[in-house]
Amino acid sequence: MTVRRPFPLSHGTTTLGFIFQGGVIAAADTRASAGGLVACPAVNKITPIHSHLVVTSSGSGADCMLWERILGREIRLYQLRHRRCLSIRGTAKLLSFMLHPFKGTDVCVALTLCGWDKSGPKLIYVCSDGARLQGDIFSVGSGSPYAYGVLDGRLRWNLSKEEAVSLAREAVFRATHRDAYSGNNVDLFHITAQGWSQRKREELKEEYYRDMERRAKTVEKGKRETVLDALG
Amino acid sequence: MALQDLCNLQEVFPDTGHSQFGKRSYSESCFSGSSSDPFTFCIPAAEFLEQSPLQFGQGSSAFTSQDLLLSSLSWPPGLPQDSPQSVPLPFPMSHGTTTLAFLFQGGVLAAADTRSSCSGLVACPASQKVLPIHSHMVGTTSGTSADCALWKRILARELRLYQLRHGRRLSTGGAAKLLSHMLHPFKGSELCVAATLCGWDGGDLDQDQQPTQGGARPDPSHPVSQSSVNAQQSSGRTRSSGPSLYYVCSDGTRLQGSLFSVGSGSPYAYSILDQGVRWGLTLQEATSVAREAVYRATHRDAYSGNCVDVFHVSSAGWSRRSREDLREEYYRERERRERERRESE
Repeated sequence: MTVRRPFPLSHGTTTLGFIFQGGVIAAADTRASAGGLVACPAVNKITPIHSHLVVTSSGSGADCMLWERILGREIRLYQLRHRRCLSIRGTAKLLSFMLHPFKGTDVCVALTLCGWDKSGPKLIYVCSDGARLQGDIFSVGSGSPYAYGVLDGRLRWNLSKEEAVSLAREAVFRATHRDAYSGNNVDLFHITAQGWSQRKREELKEEYYRDMERRAKTVEKGKRETVLDALG
Repeated sequence: MALQDLCNLQEVFPDTGHSQFGKRSYSESCFSGSSSDPFTFCIPAAEFLEQSPLQFGQGSSAFTSQDLLLSSLSWPPGLPQDSPQSVPLPFPMSHGTTTLAFLFQGGVLAAADTRSSCSGLVACPASQKVLPIHSHMVGTTSGTSADCALWKRILARELRLYQLRHGRRLSTGGAAKLLSHMLHPFKGSELCVAATLCGWDGGDLDQDQQPTQGGARPDPSHPVSQSSVNAQQSSGRTRSSGPSLYYVCSDGTRLQGSLFSVGSGSPYAYSILDQGVRWGLTLQEATSVAREAVYRATHRDAYSGNCVDVFHVSSAGWSRRSREDLREEYYRERERRERERRESE
């Protein structure tokens, strides 16, 4: 009924969010791809909605931007009318119902709402297919399997904030290393009862070079030992 | 020959009579046309397209275990269906498995899960995806189980023939090239084989009993090391020895590398392997990284699961770790997290 897509959209991105004892961490890469072209290497995939809620986006960039703005407007209207903040679960439900009329069309939006409300830290995944899931760990996008591998192994409830941040960074880094549609930088947000705070955007090229150097050193060492063994 | 009789090659090729084990190289026999050559099944597939009664596509998803392959031996071996567009695949085949292999100082480590799936059904929870080819080489399989099992056998036979003719084992790179050229006529058909060949390239057969401490073997072409190196080494071409890893795929890819993971669960495994694999790992560390990678993949991927097989190839040959059910690992981890959660509260 609509224009056929030239290629199957595969949510070319890596975003992730998880809950731990110190709150919620949301991390994402910053590459916007259009087929094989890197349309923009420095996109914001994590958008704050209000002081205690950020949204990570995946899917079609334009759709996500629009729906984030719509969601922000609706939340603000609710706040003005009812003099209180809507809970994260309510926000997710609202978003899901707003997206419902577009189910079956080409709207492609997969958002993870990461926030803190009266009931504590919350992480809810909302998708334009109609899925609305609450959980402790979500990763969305083409790079998500790579991130899941890292997160599943090392995520614990009682991580410190530094460990959690470094785990999220490592997961995004591994995904950008293997996935062609993720890359460039990593954005990181941390949400606590006091609100969200953003870590400085970090370029992964440096991390990659550090990693390569470390490996080159161990390979060199290994090779030297091999030669010594052969001669000795 | 055993495999030839098994596959009833005489019926299919009535003009071939007894095999001619001449000195011609394998690639010659591949392109020699329809002469009376026993290995004509590898010539361009045009001749066989009319002959094949075998239905690929819809029906092939039922052939998912090695036992099933052996029990249906009446069909002519390995002949593909005419054109891929005749029978549309019911779902995009995605190599529902997790296999991985990497090089390290102690040799090559290969690991795989054991689930054979058939679009939603777990056809066999205890299949073997890492198959030994000869004493110093194993291959991991991904794709259609039946195709992989057959081609592994064919490859093993060809390598054994090479060993008998030339007195030395073919290198892993050579085996990869051989497999790739054997699969080439089937390119474009629904044959689906994605294998990684993990082997240790050594010297002559009589150097197999070298004592090793798990380090690298001395290079046999080094003039100082082996006085027992005989004239077979004097061809002037230096042969590298040591661990070697190649990825061969039925669409024609042939890649050398130090780390490969194949299958639907491979992204999950890749991130663990990228973190943990270094040249200087001990065997124990390497095994635990491989196990962890397969476990993470089976945790998230629906088409991988059940148990994990770990094989290690070193200069002394391949050795196999006993198969481990990952369910236990899952329960242990769950208990550990419960305990941590309780402690932190």
